[in-house]
Amino acid sequence: MMKTRILLSAALFAFATGAFAASGDSEAGKKKSAPCAACHGENGISVSPEFPNLAGQYPDYIEAALKHYQNGKRKNPIMAAQVKDLSPKDILDLAAYFSKQHALSVKH
Amino acid sequence: MQSLRILLLPAAIAAAFGAHAAGDAAAGKNKVFQCQGCHGIADWKTAFPEVYRVPKLGGQKPAYISAALKAYKSGEREFATMRAIAADLSDKDIEDLAAYYGAEAVNTAEKK
Repeated sequence: MMKTRILLSAALFAFATGAFAASGDSEAGKKKSAPCAACHGENGISVSPEFPNLAGQYPDYIEAALKHYQNGKRKNPIMAAQVKDLSPKDILDLAAYFSKQHALSVKH
Repeated sequence: MQSLRILLLPAAIAAAFGAHAAGDAAAGKNKVFQCQGCHGIADWKTAFPEVYRVPKLGGQKPAYISAALKAYKSGEREFATMRAIAADLSDKDIEDLAAYYGAEAVNTAEKK
C-alpha cells in the first residue's frame, strides 16, 4: 500500500511537471547534429531560405517531424534519407539540442 | 504591346531572382486570425492521438512557411486542421503570412 502510494505520487509529480515526455540529451544531440548543420546551420539557424530554422523549436515538435519523415507521413526526399538510420534516442537527443538554441519564438 | 512589356518585366525579374513573390508582413498581420488560436499560444498542443506542441512560427524562414502552407493546401502534407485552413488561403495570403511570421530577425546565433 505504501509502495503504491509512493509510485502514485511519483506519477502524479511527473504528470504535474509535464515530465512524461522522454527527454533527450542535448550534449549527445550536438554531437549527432553535424549532418543537420549542412542545411539547418550549426546552431539550427538555417543557411538557406527554404530550410527551416530549428533553433528554439519545441523538442516534441522536432521529434514528431523527424518521426513523420521516418514513417512517410511527411514526404521530403532529403529528409527521408537523413532520418532513415536515426534511432528514437537519436531523435530525442537532436530535438533536445536544437530546442535549446535560440531563434524561434511564439508570435501572436 | 508596351503595357504588356511593362507587365512582363516584373515577372521576368522575379523569375530571374527565383523569388517567391515577396509577401507583405503588414497585410499578413491582418490575416493571422486562423493561426493565432494554436500558433499564438505558448505550449499549445495538437489533439489526441498524436500529441505534441504546435511549432513556433516567429522567426521562421518565410520561404519555408509558404512551402509548408502550399503543401498543406495541396494535401501533400497531412494534418487535417492545417489542410482545412490552408485550403482557403490564396497565394497572396500565404506569402503575406509567411512574411509576417518570418519578419523577426533571427539570422544571428545570439544566445538569449
